[in-house]
Amino acid sequence: MSTAMNFSSKTFKPRPPDKGAFPLDHFGECSAFKERFMECLRDSGYESGACRRRAMAYLECRMERQLMANEPLEKLGFKDLIDEKSEAKPEK
Amino acid sequence: VVPGETALAFYKAKNPTDKPVIGISTYNVIPFEAGQYFNKIQCFCFEEQRLNPQEEVDMPVFFYIDPEFVEDPKMAKVDLITLSYTFFEAKEGQKLPLPGYQ
Repeated sequence: MSTAMNFSSKTFKPRPPDKGAFPLDHFGECSAFKERFMECLRDSGYESGACRRRAMAYLECRMERQLMANEPLEKLGFKDLIDEKSEAKPEK
Repeated sequence: VVPGETALAFYKAKNPTDKPVIGISTYNVIPFEAGQYFNKIQCFCFEEQRLNPQEEVDMPVFFYIDPEFVEDPKMAKVDLITLSYTFFEAKEGQKLPLPGYQ
């Protein structure tokens, strides 16, 4: 473990998260989305990339319920998924 | 997890006591050298979180591994990065110091 007995002067410097903290989901409002995401992970052998759509759905759930600051999904690394969505919907 | 791709992970915390607990957590990354590439976009850490008696909550972390990770020769053999959190009970009036400021 890289904690105590180091002769080097390096220490692990934790950095705060870029966008701050998630408030706790005390009422489990987004638990269903989380379960769907976890189900996908288990089914895919824990391939994070295979479950990005469900991860995005979970974050959208949080944003809708004020459990996360609203942020355009494109900025959260989901640009390709959003582009796919808008290509699927014909422009009116 | 692919460097550069955002990813979501969940931890679970339970307060097994019959009193509310206010906790604050900090994290660690192993191997140490991979820590600089670990970027948290949002998580439950660094701020006080209150858990009611017997409450169990999901604690998400939304992060990505810096794509420069693949350019670093020291990381060539690293295929497993472990993220761990330690919860401390927050005491009134006490602020958890960030290591590195001491």
